[in-house]
Amino acid sequence: MSRLKTLRKLESTLESFLTRVVEAEQGRMNSLSSVDTLDEIARDSLKGRIVNNRLGDWFANNRNTVEKKQLDMSSIESIGNLLSDIRSGLDPADPISRKLSDQIDKWREEGIIPRRKLILKMSKKAPDEDFLGKFMDFMGREKELFDSGEFEGRHLLSILDDVLKSAEAKEDTMFLHLAGSMIYFLKMNGYKVTPFAKRLKEIENIRLRGRNAK
Amino acid sequence: MLNDSDKAYYRALQALGEKDYRAAAGFLKSVENQFADKPELRILKESVELLLTVKDEMYELENETIEIEEILINGQETEFL
Repeated sequence: MSRLKTLRKLESTLESFLTRVVEAEQGRMNSLSSVDTLDEIARDSLKGRIVNNRLGDWFANNRNTVEKKQLDMSSIESIGNLLSDIRSGLDPADPISRKLSDQIDKWREEGIIPRRKLILKMSKKAPDEDFLGKFMDFMGREKELFDSGEFEGRHLLSILDDVLKSAEAKEDTMFLHLAGSMIYFLKMNGYKVTPFAKRLKEIENIRLRGRNAK
Repeated sequence: MLNDSDKAYYRALQALGEKDYRAAAGFLKSVENQFADKPELRILKESVELLLTVKDEMYELENETIEIEEILINGQETEFL
């Protein structure tokens, strides 16, 4: 057999093998396609973009597959986590966003998608005796800051911007705590807080990297 | 978020479905350091790369240029060398 013929045979064998791999993985591909699309939506949602239409389309295209559990467990878990990310960025004041949030909640309540796993870890060192005192110290100093009149007449969102700048510039971790607390309060009252939460996370990461480098 | 390995695998399968073997090889190569516990992905990557090598080799063989020099001695045609 000539060299070219041998190569052609090898080419055909490999192509046929790869075609069969794709055919065998069709189910997995469908799962990954569904998760991949939702992943793109979640990434845009975290950037503060409006994703209502795309999320609505995703539900329309994937409702049956998810509800009939036609996806593998790892995909269902990924979908649950991604929907949690997206849900936190949906605007509760907008009726379409509310409808989409309700759909996500319904799936969670019916156990169609798992709730996000939250693992809290505590360091092994002996608990600080004055742990509560430290927390109270933060609360007290935060109150003093507000009582000083520095922020008088300003909206909480603008104050949060200042607090995040202080958290970035100062060593005092009280500003991180205060920013987190303000973000949560704003979220509870229907404000879109994703960009602020992202800034806080970035500041925390920078501090963590700085601490690890020491 | 979808992890890089799953994302690359999905994109590679998509490319294979479209017979875009070079793109598939690129996606699989981008996450090859995560293949330690996934031998099936390593086999897939090696197969795609082997196929590309075979195709390149075939292309070279099929497009080999044959240079023929005609030598004339005393005005008479001779054999081609």
